[in-house]
Amino acid sequence: MTARSPSPAPILLLDRVTKRFAGHIAVDALSLSVPRGVIYGLLGPNGAGKTTTIRMIMDILEPDGGVVRVFGEPSGGRAHSERIGYLPEERGLYRKMRVLDVLVFLGEMKGIDRRRAHQLAGEWLERLGLAQWRLRRVEELSKGMQQKVQFISTMLHDPDLLILDEPFSGLDPVNAQVMKDTVLDLRSRGKTILFSTHIMEQAEKLCEQLCIIARGRKLVDGALSDIKRTHGGQHLVIGFDGSLGEAAQVFTDQRLVSKVDNYGQYAELELASGADPQQILQRLVTSGARLSRFELQEASLNKIFIDLVGPEAVRA
Amino acid sequence: MRKVWAVIRREFVERVRSRWFWVSAVLGPLFFAAIIFIPLHFTATGGTKAIVVVDGTTSGFGARVADSLAQGRTFTIVARQAPRPGLVDSLTHVVGRNRLDGLLVLTDRTVESGAAEYRAANVSSFHDIDELRGVLGRLAVTARLERAGVDPATVGRAQIRIDLQTKKISGSETTGESSAQSFWLAYVMSIVLFIVIAVYGVNVMSSVLEEKTTRIVEVLVSSLRPFELMLGKVVGVGAVSIFQFAIWGLGGRLVLSQRAALVGDLGPQGGDVGQEAMFQLPPVPAATVAVFLAYFLGGFFLYSAMFAAVGAMSSNEQEARQAQQPVVFLLMIAYLSVFALANNPGSTYAVALSLVPFTSPIAMPVRWAAGSVSWIELLGSLALLGIGIALVTWIAARIYRVGILTTGKRPNVRELIRWIETA
Repeated sequence: MTARSPSPAPILLLDRVTKRFAGHIAVDALSLSVPRGVIYGLLGPNGAGKTTTIRMIMDILEPDGGVVRVFGEPSGGRAHSERIGYLPEERGLYRKMRVLDVLVFLGEMKGIDRRRAHQLAGEWLERLGLAQWRLRRVEELSKGMQQKVQFISTMLHDPDLLILDEPFSGLDPVNAQVMKDTVLDLRSRGKTILFSTHIMEQAEKLCEQLCIIARGRKLVDGALSDIKRTHGGQHLVIGFDGSLGEAAQVFTDQRLVSKVDNYGQYAELELASGADPQQILQRLVTSGARLSRFELQEASLNKIFIDLVGPEAVRA
Repeated sequence: MRKVWAVIRREFVERVRSRWFWVSAVLGPLFFAAIIFIPLHFTATGGTKAIVVVDGTTSGFGARVADSLAQGRTFTIVARQAPRPGLVDSLTHVVGRNRLDGLLVLTDRTVESGAAEYRAANVSSFHDIDELRGVLGRLAVTARLERAGVDPATVGRAQIRIDLQTKKISGSETTGESSAQSFWLAYVMSIVLFIVIAVYGVNVMSSVLEEKTTRIVEVLVSSLRPFELMLGKVVGVGAVSIFQFAIWGLGGRLVLSQRAALVGDLGPQGGDVGQEAMFQLPPVPAATVAVFLAYFLGGFFLYSAMFAAVGAMSSNEQEARQAQQPVVFLLMIAYLSVFALANNPGSTYAVALSLVPFTSPIAMPVRWAAGSVSWIELLGSLALLGIGIALVTWIAARIYRVGILTTGKRPNVRELIRWIETA
């Protein structure tokens, strides 16, 4: 993947956007650029400023400084609401309303007309197997079904840009799958998806481009492959088969290993610069360790993330 | 704005569809009638009082008093007894055990010097005391004049009561409205205004709170401005209240057209002061209806904006109930002043209340109904109300805007001020 240089007009651009709340800076001069037609991850630990950033993109909060440009125009999401689908982190629907009415209403809020909203809502309910629930009240639906209704409300108007705040949090496995498939399907249809998460495994599987922030500041952004190349270092995964031997001693040899993440039966090493993996293998075998796995790897995004953010921020 | 329109429609349709709307459409008037008439009925009559007349007179005065009281509807004369030692004490004892309401002690001195005594468990009923005082006074005067040799027929003619007819002057025209009707109208209006503004204001509040607690508000304000959302909400709920009035009005007309059959023995007064009085009943002029509706709408907008802010700054129903109290108290000032307003609509206090935007929505219609209000005052009051609405809405919208996205502890006054400044 060498989609390094984004297309000339990014679909979403943040230029030194800042938001202060009483006593602290939630987002600090954050700049990022989301090219058209990619899945973009906004990553960061809890409290990093992801939701605040998304809220500023959506015009829910006004930045104290900097500019948000959506679809090339110097305005936030509200002016383009008919082209943007937004799924907030904390979700809810009108509990007493009928499913179909909620969807039509939320479609109207996006700016599509009532009749069209009605038709689209019907089609979506059909597609996700909720057709027979259309006239029930939301509160009569199971939590999983409510989650589906919530997706529908986000995608109903066929937006070009989807902004999903922690889209997988709280989903049951079936719906997480539906969400993932939907995101990939939209991507294949040329839509742009920006989503925030603090779960790196997901981001690693889905994102082409990403931005990692912590404490309101950007730590790194760009294509996933580039980030891995520049920040990953050489990475070694070792699995033990029972006996560890003197492996711990090998790991502490700073000529070979610059960093170790030891789980007991499993360890992730970062090689010291110039170290030869073969030498480590040899040392481990002679130390009496029984190995089930010895693999040279790119660093996982999780690893890069923790290295960048620092253990302290992760705990927060 | 199409989106605002969609918000208005949702508020309207969802509410009108609810069972509660129709329950209140049907039961509302009954409820109003009950809270208006039940207390009045009891203060007016309080039931008949069973009393014993301890008659120490030698001229037959006691007998005349007893007869005269027995003819009225307030008292039942259980017995008329000549005084003997211990009688008053034993009767007092009987009153103490609630077997008797009171005793009236008369002596010859009653006619001569006017001394009489009424002992009863309840001596705070003005109605009872007025009745006693009236009968005793009239008969004592008669007795004194007769004793002085005046012809009893002359005495009778001299005592013909004055029937004071009251007509309200409105503008410079005399209307057919009596003072009693004016008062009733003012009284009924104040109750209806107070309750409907409070109920629908609280409706706005819970609607805001629902969107906040379910977080739908976040999706909504990403598509339309917070102010537009608040506006749509207030207008939508307001439309429901107007619809409610229309149902009551039509229902009232229907009831009135059948009123001969329905009202039966309620008597003339019972018949024309019902909640139907608000709508097209002959003595309610169109101008009064217009004033009522104008101030209802003004009051509703003013108070709903405040209720919306209260909903936005609270995180749950319980917090909202506490936070709404100052708003309800503000609304109650005029409501609790209704007697002062109706009895003396020209007083400085009444004029002030009818000009200040927070109280004018109730105070002005009451003054309007009870007495005459000049056009200048009316227009001034409406203008002030308009300014008040603009100002309060501006502040409320800022609190709303910050509040709907803020969870956690309810803000204190200082934080609220910061919200207003920074929003």
